[in-house]
Amino acid sequence: MQNASRRRVLIGLAAGVVVILAVTYPWIATNPYYRFVGTMTVMSMALAMSWNIMGGFTGYVSLGHSAFFGLGAYFTGITVTRLDMPPFGMAVAAGLFVAVLAVPIGYLALRTRNASFVIVTIALVYITGLLAQAWRGLTRGTAGLSLPRLEGFGRDDIHIPFYFAFLILLAIVFLVTWWISRSRFGMGLIAIREDEDKAEMLGVNTDIYKLTAFVASAAFVGIAGGVYAYWYSYLDPTFVFDVGIGLNMILMSLLGGIRSIFGPMLGALIIVPSSEYFLAQYGGSQFHLMATGLLLAIVVIVMPQGIIPAVESIIKRFRAPAPSIRESASESSPPPQPTKAAS
Amino acid sequence: MTYFATKELSRAFGGVVAVDEATVEFQQGKVNGLIGPNGCGKTTFFNLVTGMIRPDGGEITFKDGDLAGSRPHQVALAGIGRTFQVTRLFPRMTVMQNMLVAVRRRSIRELAANAVRGDDVARAEGWLERVGIEHLRDTEARDLSYGQQKLLEIAGLLMGDPELILLDEPAGGVNPVMVERISTLVRELNAEGKTFLVVEHNMEMVMSLCDHIVVFDRGAPVAVGAPQDIRKDQRVLEAYLGG
Amino acid sequence: MPSFDLLVQAGSVGILTGGVYALLASGLTLIFGVMKIVHISHAAFIILAAYLTYFISRDLGIDPLLTVVITAPLFFVLGMLVQRLLLSRLRENATMMSVLLTFAIAIVIEGGMGLLWTSSHRSINVSYGDSAVNLGDVRLPVDRILGFLLAAATLAMLFAVLRYSRYGQALRATIQHPAAARLIGVDAQTISAVGFGIGLATAAVGGAILAILVPFFPATHYAWIGRLMAIIVLGGLGSVGGAAIAAVAMGVIESLVLVSMDATWASMIFFIVLFMTLALRPQGLFGGRLAERF
Repeated sequence: MQNASRRRVLIGLAAGVVVILAVTYPWIATNPYYRFVGTMTVMSMALAMSWNIMGGFTGYVSLGHSAFFGLGAYFTGITVTRLDMPPFGMAVAAGLFVAVLAVPIGYLALRTRNASFVIVTIALVYITGLLAQAWRGLTRGTAGLSLPRLEGFGRDDIHIPFYFAFLILLAIVFLVTWWISRSRFGMGLIAIREDEDKAEMLGVNTDIYKLTAFVASAAFVGIAGGVYAYWYSYLDPTFVFDVGIGLNMILMSLLGGIRSIFGPMLGALIIVPSSEYFLAQYGGSQFHLMATGLLLAIVVIVMPQGIIPAVESIIKRFRAPAPSIRESASESSPPPQPTKAAS
Repeated sequence: MTYFATKELSRAFGGVVAVDEATVEFQQGKVNGLIGPNGCGKTTFFNLVTGMIRPDGGEITFKDGDLAGSRPHQVALAGIGRTFQVTRLFPRMTVMQNMLVAVRRRSIRELAANAVRGDDVARAEGWLERVGIEHLRDTEARDLSYGQQKLLEIAGLLMGDPELILLDEPAGGVNPVMVERISTLVRELNAEGKTFLVVEHNMEMVMSLCDHIVVFDRGAPVAVGAPQDIRKDQRVLEAYLGG
Repeated sequence: MPSFDLLVQAGSVGILTGGVYALLASGLTLIFGVMKIVHISHAAFIILAAYLTYFISRDLGIDPLLTVVITAPLFFVLGMLVQRLLLSRLRENATMMSVLLTFAIAIVIEGGMGLLWTSSHRSINVSYGDSAVNLGDVRLPVDRILGFLLAAATLAMLFAVLRYSRYGQALRATIQHPAAARLIGVDAQTISAVGFGIGLATAAVGGAILAILVPFFPATHYAWIGRLMAIIVLGGLGSVGGAAIAAVAMGVIESLVLVSMDATWASMIFFIVLFMTLALRPQGLFGGRLAERF
C-alpha cells in the first residue's frame, strides 16, 4: 500500500515542521508583543483542548470552565503570596486542587442534563466569582491580588518561559486527548454523546465516565489558570471569573471542530491572533464583543460541525466515489426511518 | 432457583398506573413471550426490569439476586441485554463502532487495558457476519435501512455476552422476510442457551417462536401458558377485544 | 441580627421586588417551556428595553411606565423576527446550540448598546422616585409599588392569554407535550415565534420597570440572567406560575439577606438556592415531568 505509507511520511514531516515551528517561535517572533500574542494563543489552545475533553466527547457543553480557570489562578496566587510556594509548582498543584473540587461539583452538575446542566455550569462561574469577591481576607477581593514577577528575564523576554509552560501543558492535553480518542473510555464517552441511555443499557457506567472526563477537563483548565496567574501577575475576580473565558473555549472548539482532536487548537489558532489584531488596530472592547458574538452566531448556525469536518467532507467528495450500498437479496425493506438521536 | 421473575412490581405515572403489582415468572432457556393490547404496560415493564425507571414497589429477581433499584449498566453487566421499541443506535458512529461499545463483565485488569482489543473486533466481525451486515461495517449507523438497524441493534447487544435477552417488538415495522430472519436468529441463539423475553404484537411470530407466553392487561399478567393454551384462553380474548 | 421591624420592612419590599422578578422570569420560563431553549439573552433584551424606555420617556416626555405601550408591541415583533431569522435555523442538538446562539445574541446586544449609548450608568428619575406610602409600620416606596402593580397586571394578562386565547392554549399544549400538540395541528414554528414574541414583550415591560428602580449599563444583563435562571429553576423549568411564586420567594429572601448580611451575599443567595434546588429537587417546585430530562 504505497499510498498509505507515503501519506504517513508526509503527515510525519508536517507534524515535525509544526513542532519545530512551535518550539522556535519565541525566537522567530522578533518583538515582545508577538511573543505575547503567541503565548496567549498557546494558552487558548490548551484551554480549548481541555474543555473539549468534556464538551467534544460527551456532548455536555459546560459554560462553567471559567470557574476552574479562576480557581486554579487564585489557588496559585494565594499559595504563592501567602505561603511563599514556588509558582510553577503551585500551578501544577492547582490542577490537583481543582480536580478535587471538580468531583463533588461534577457529581452535582451531572445529575442534570442539557439545559439544566448548562444553567448549573453558568451558575458555577457566578458563585465562584462572588465568593472570590466576598472572601476578601483570602483573595483581597476586587482590590486585586498581585503575584511576584518571574526573576531573571528582561522585559523583552518575560513571555518566553510562560510560552513554553503553556506549550508543555498543551502537549500533555493533546496526548491525553489522543489517548482518549483511541481508547474504550473514549468510545464510551462518544456513545454517551450519541445516546446516553443506550450506552448505559450496553453496560457503560455513564456516571463514572462523565465525571472522569469532567474532572480531567477541569484539572487541566485549572493548571492553565495557575500558569496564567504567574504570567499576568495580577488577579481580579471580575476578570478571572468571567463567563467569556469559557465561552471563548467553546467558540474555538466549535470553530475548529469539536469532534476532531485538532479542532480546538485550530480554532484557537484562528481566533486569538486575529482577535488581538483587531484589538490592536481598532481598539474598543464593544466592537470586540460584537465581533465575538457575531462569529459565534455564524458558527452555530452555519457550521456547527466546525472547520475540520467541513474540510474533511470536501476532501471525501474529491476522492473515489462511495461504493453503492447494494441491498442483499432478502432486503426489500420499507423506506428507512430516522433513528432517535440523543436529545 | 428463580431465574427471572417479578413480585408485585408497580409503577405509576401521575395518576396512571402503568404496572400494577405484577407478579410473574419467566423460564430459563426458553423463548418467553410478553403480549397484550396497546397500553397494557409491556414497555414500562421492560423499562422497570432493565433499570431505566425506578419501581414504586415490588421486587425483580434475576438468578436469585434482586435487581430492583439497579442502574441500567448494572443490569447489563449482570447479563441482561435489551433492544428498544424504536431502534436506538449511535447514529453517527459506524456499524463496527456501534458493536464495540458494549461492555462485558471484565476483570479490573482488563478494564485498565482500555484499548480497543483485537479480539473484540474479531468477535464483532463474527456477529456482524452472522446477522448478515458485515459488508456495512464502516457505514454510519444512521445510513442503514430500518431492517439493517434492527439487526445491528441485536448484534450490538450480543457483544455484551448476555444470557437473558429482552426484545421490544423486534418485528415492528419490518417486512416479512426480515421478521423470518429475526425469528431464525432468535431460535438459533436460544438453542445455544440464551433465554429470551420477547414483547410482540405480531401474533404469528409469537405463536411460532415462543415456548411460554405471559399476557398482560392493564399493567398486570392475566394469563400464562403455552401458545396453544393462550390462543384459546377467554381472558386473553377479552383483554384484546374487550375492556 | 437586624430588628424584627427591619426584617418586616425588608420582607415587604422584597415582595414588591419579587413581583417584578416574577414578570422578568415569566418570559424566560415560557420561552423555555415552548421552545426548550435556555434563552441567555433574555436579560440583555430587558436591559435594551430599559434603555429604550429611558430615551423614549425622555424625548417624548411621558412617564417611563407608559412607554410600554410602544415597547411591548415592538418587542413582540422583534421576538418573532429573532425566532424566525435566527433561532429557527438551529438544526442538530438544538438545546446546547441554542445556549450558545442566545449567548451570542446577548453579547451582540451588549456591545451594540455600549457602542450606541456608552457604558455609563443610566437611571431614570421619576417624580415619585423618592416618595413612599406607609402601611402600618412599613414604608413602601411608591416606585416599587407601581412597578409591582404593572408587573402584576402584565402577568395577569399573560395568564389570561395562556388560559383563554387560542394561541395561549396552543402554547400550553406545546409546553406539556410537543408531539401531541403537533398532532392536533399546532404548527411548531408559528407557536415558537409567538411564544418568543410574548416572552420578549414581557421583557419590554420588565425593562421599563427596571429602568425606574435601579441603575443600569450594558453589562448589567449578566447579573440579571443569573438571578432569573436561579428563579426559573426553583420554580420549575417551563412553569410560569411556578416562576412567579419562586420569584416572590427569592425577592423576599434576597431582601432579608441584604439587611442581615451584605449585597454580595444577597447576590450569592440566588445561586445557593439554585444549587440546593438541583441537588434536592431538580424539577423545582412545580416542574414535574417536564423537567425530568432537562
